[in-house]
Amino acid sequence: MRNHLIIDRRTVLKGIGATVALPWLEAMVPGSVLGAEPKGKPPLRMAFLYVPNGKNMRHWTPKEEGKDFTFPKTLLPLKPYKDDLLVLTGLTCDKARPHGDGPGDHARAMSAFLTGCQAKKTHGADIRVGVSVDQFAAQKVGKSTRFPTLEVGCEGGRQAGNCDSGYSCAYSSSVSWRTPTTPVAKEVHPRLVFERLFGIKGKAGDVRKAKRDYYRHSILDHVLDDAKGLKAKLGAPDRRKLEEYLSGVREIEGRLARAEKADRVEVKEIGTTCPRPPGMPRNYEQHLRLMADMLVLAFQADLTRIATFVFANEGSNRSYRDVGVPEGHHDLSHHGGKNEKLAKIQQINEFHVKQLAYLLGRLRSVKEGAGTLLDSCMLVYGSGNSDGNRHNHDDLPVLLCGKAGGAFKAGWHVRYPKETPLTNLFVTMLDRFGVRVDKFGDSTGRLAGLEA
Amino acid sequence: MRNWPLALSLAGLLPALVPWGGASASPAEKSTFAAHVAPLVQKYCVRCHGPKKAKAGVRLDRDRDEASALKDRALWEKVADIVRSGDMPPAGAKRPSPAELDSLNAWLDRVVLKVDCSGPRDPGRVTIRRLNRAEYNNTIRDLVGVDFRPAKDFPADDVGYGFDNIGDVLSLPPLLMEKYLDAAEQVVEKAWADPKARARLFPRPRKKPGDRRFVLDNLRTFATRAYRRPATDEEVKRLARLVRQAAENGDGFETGVKNALTAVLVSPHFLFRIEVDREPGNPRAVHPITDWELASRLSYFLWSSMPDEELFSLAREKKLRQPGVLEGQVRRMIKDPKAKALADNFAGQWLQTRGLAEFKPDPRQFPAFNDELRRDMQKETELFFLNVVREDRSILDFIDSDYTFVNERLARHYGLRGVKGNEFRKVSLAGTPRGGVLTQASVLAVTSNPTRTSPVKRGKFILDNILGTPPPPPPPDAGELKEGPELTGTLRQRMEQHRANPSCATCHARMDPLGFGFENFDAVGAWRTHEGKLPIDPSGVLPGGQSFKGPAGLRAILKKKQGQFAKCLTEKLLTYALGRGMERSDRCFIEEIARKAAKSDYRFSGLVIETVKSDPFQKRRGKGGKK
Repeated sequence: MRNHLIIDRRTVLKGIGATVALPWLEAMVPGSVLGAEPKGKPPLRMAFLYVPNGKNMRHWTPKEEGKDFTFPKTLLPLKPYKDDLLVLTGLTCDKARPHGDGPGDHARAMSAFLTGCQAKKTHGADIRVGVSVDQFAAQKVGKSTRFPTLEVGCEGGRQAGNCDSGYSCAYSSSVSWRTPTTPVAKEVHPRLVFERLFGIKGKAGDVRKAKRDYYRHSILDHVLDDAKGLKAKLGAPDRRKLEEYLSGVREIEGRLARAEKADRVEVKEIGTTCPRPPGMPRNYEQHLRLMADMLVLAFQADLTRIATFVFANEGSNRSYRDVGVPEGHHDLSHHGGKNEKLAKIQQINEFHVKQLAYLLGRLRSVKEGAGTLLDSCMLVYGSGNSDGNRHNHDDLPVLLCGKAGGAFKAGWHVRYPKETPLTNLFVTMLDRFGVRVDKFGDSTGRLAGLEA
Repeated sequence: MRNWPLALSLAGLLPALVPWGGASASPAEKSTFAAHVAPLVQKYCVRCHGPKKAKAGVRLDRDRDEASALKDRALWEKVADIVRSGDMPPAGAKRPSPAELDSLNAWLDRVVLKVDCSGPRDPGRVTIRRLNRAEYNNTIRDLVGVDFRPAKDFPADDVGYGFDNIGDVLSLPPLLMEKYLDAAEQVVEKAWADPKARARLFPRPRKKPGDRRFVLDNLRTFATRAYRRPATDEEVKRLARLVRQAAENGDGFETGVKNALTAVLVSPHFLFRIEVDREPGNPRAVHPITDWELASRLSYFLWSSMPDEELFSLAREKKLRQPGVLEGQVRRMIKDPKAKALADNFAGQWLQTRGLAEFKPDPRQFPAFNDELRRDMQKETELFFLNVVREDRSILDFIDSDYTFVNERLARHYGLRGVKGNEFRKVSLAGTPRGGVLTQASVLAVTSNPTRTSPVKRGKFILDNILGTPPPPPPPDAGELKEGPELTGTLRQRMEQHRANPSCATCHARMDPLGFGFENFDAVGAWRTHEGKLPIDPSGVLPGGQSFKGPAGLRAILKKKQGQFAKCLTEKLLTYALGRGMERSDRCFIEEIARKAAKSDYRFSGLVIETVKSDPFQKRRGKGGKK
């Protein structure tokens, strides 16, 4: 019944390589159900990249403001991308501050970063912060792609123990929050990201897949009835848990419905291939780069337009011995002003920035419309901590990469007045994304000085 | 209103369960409200919580004596929590001296936090628990009879109160729902292809053509086992509809049956462990859980899996609560190979040895460390724990023992002679500095940093997991070390210079000496006598004045605190067994379980039996008050 197939089935089935389609392309048949963008104009994408434990700010912030700034040591790997990025100095994540809640800056920094809300201090029960900007955007405009959002990272949730001074581990390992009480788990295995994006196995072909989807609907309807019947018998905390179940089921149902529609769209293929990622990389740099590849693929094939990418959890004590830093990152970040430790932190910061440069390079290598994929991106790269020793949350290290379809200027270092909320940046980005809001989290307005 | 919701959320956390700073008798214990507490409140609190300013709507200046303070007990409970968590007074404000804190805390313990164990007791309430990864794998294994381990690609489970099986904490993100659906389809597909497994999914053959009964019977049997309680007629009928749908579409009987089985495995009745209250909104409606629910509590506690046939039939016949039956079942279950789950999931989290997987010591400093040694370390602790369980040893073996389990590689790491080959075996530790879990390389490593030991982490580990007296978190400005002359000497000497800072001293005086006692063990748990060229000093003095000369001496001190350790372990075990955090009201049960366990010489089975016989394990109640 469905003969027009989209790429994920046709390709992955080959087992080794995927041919990636660009469904938004002008070749898209009239009456396409995907995307409401004007013909020929690539859709915007946004992504948020999180790095933990703050920075050595001395080697991060350029001395000069404006267009003619010199790249500080940590940012040097980005020099080839000067025309694709903005360095934003002076932004603040106020909700990461204690405000009477005592220690726990790591947990608060990560959970406040994209939400602009203060995490409720709790070990576990009743976690609450706010909806993150990526999920918020997706709830408004995410329906036009197969996946409303993509959440990836290179460090899973903690397996044992408590995380940060009385805060649930959910706070320091989740940057994306679907609701104020539901963190979105990130996928850390590149192969699984690939399979999620492009489907798995299904050798018997697409008729079978269509049939499977049909029965999946029936099965999900069945269990929805189970859940509804059960809900009536339970107490309030139980009902909240069941609500998570219900929204998970509904999301899959929604995706099945969208997949059905997408099946009717004939798309043009191009010859890009990407090897199916092997097992979990043991090397951190490879891991980060494979994840970056997955992100590029997802954007390129327009499977999603919104993503978060967590380089490492907040407070991560990973050691970076590949760049000559055997100590734990978090340990080091409490540098006590010691030059030797600060130098090592700088090395870690630079290592991360190199991976960002890799991602930008990959995005720029993909031609799209008259420009490149990077041209239609807005990527925020940053940390909710500034100096890891002081745990301060003003003067955050933040980069905005990509030209947002030409809307943003690039190649500038912009300094904002003290205490300018980071969320002001998000409000401005949401504008560009077609989501008009006057307030997000603790925002106080829009961020000036970005327009091209 | 920022502070008080926080305090509320902290209410019932464990630090409150134990007397502050251990059980040392001091003059502070006789402190009274009028003579000691009120002046402290005046000095440190009233500026922000008084007549002029009542931050967060809180005033602390109104109570004049103990009687009036007791009428405000809820308020003072919050004060206890927030002061002990180190959150008040806030950073930058004047802080009470250690002696002042002692006298405040003594009053709080004696008057405010004292729990009356004589009245009616609250068994607490567990939120429905979704199966975590380990439970999902094991349950599928026992349900289908094949160990597919489908959960290995599921996202990591959320951890709360130190464990990953807490109902309130385990979330179900959409990604996981997707994985549940994929996993269910794959399990059914694979099991259907395996004759042995297929017989478990769908045991009864069609008796004669046109027999519709057998479909219903098979679905009922499978759903009853999967839901861990009798499937209802209505549930079975609805499942049968999925079978009929496929047949009507011309996709065949098998497709339909597989769809129905898949639906069972994605149903909330399978994915969650559900216990139903007759009055879900009434907190006073205390009732025993059903025998089916009790069977599941037992099996998930001791096996991290579903009940077996024996437990199911005892539940069906309502015999679980007959005299002696629970005891017998516990003894049977902990001898079963499935009790290995208790080592993997309880001990792995209590002793934090799960963290070994992420431990990456610096290879230049620790060239001997590799993945094989990492596995050996984990194995030692697992075998040691299981030995206590299966041989029904005393839980005091965890603190000190004259034996452990090693293979040749680990023996070499420990400097033990005469052990050959890869196989683990029990060896004597007599005449060595090791004994108990605290000197096992696994625990020593997970409490270290990649390049060095961390006496602070080791000390905190003992306070958290052995003594049950966790220190408050560091004050907000910790880490902001004052610039000063470079610190020199061994790690210990440098730390002692640090501690000159009075705002850190109180807590570090509790943590650091405990850690110093293990300084002879390096970051991967190997023995050492020197750090670089400087000799190690493993002696220490605890805040109560007790002194020790090295790991053996410290263990002897810890062993004397057996009552405290038993309570600490009980509290961990009960948290894990119930899947919820401990409340203040659980204190009575914890003390009672530990007290009774002492009568059976702290044998492991005794502790487990008292745990499963306790009210929190046997009963539940509705939820009232706030939504």
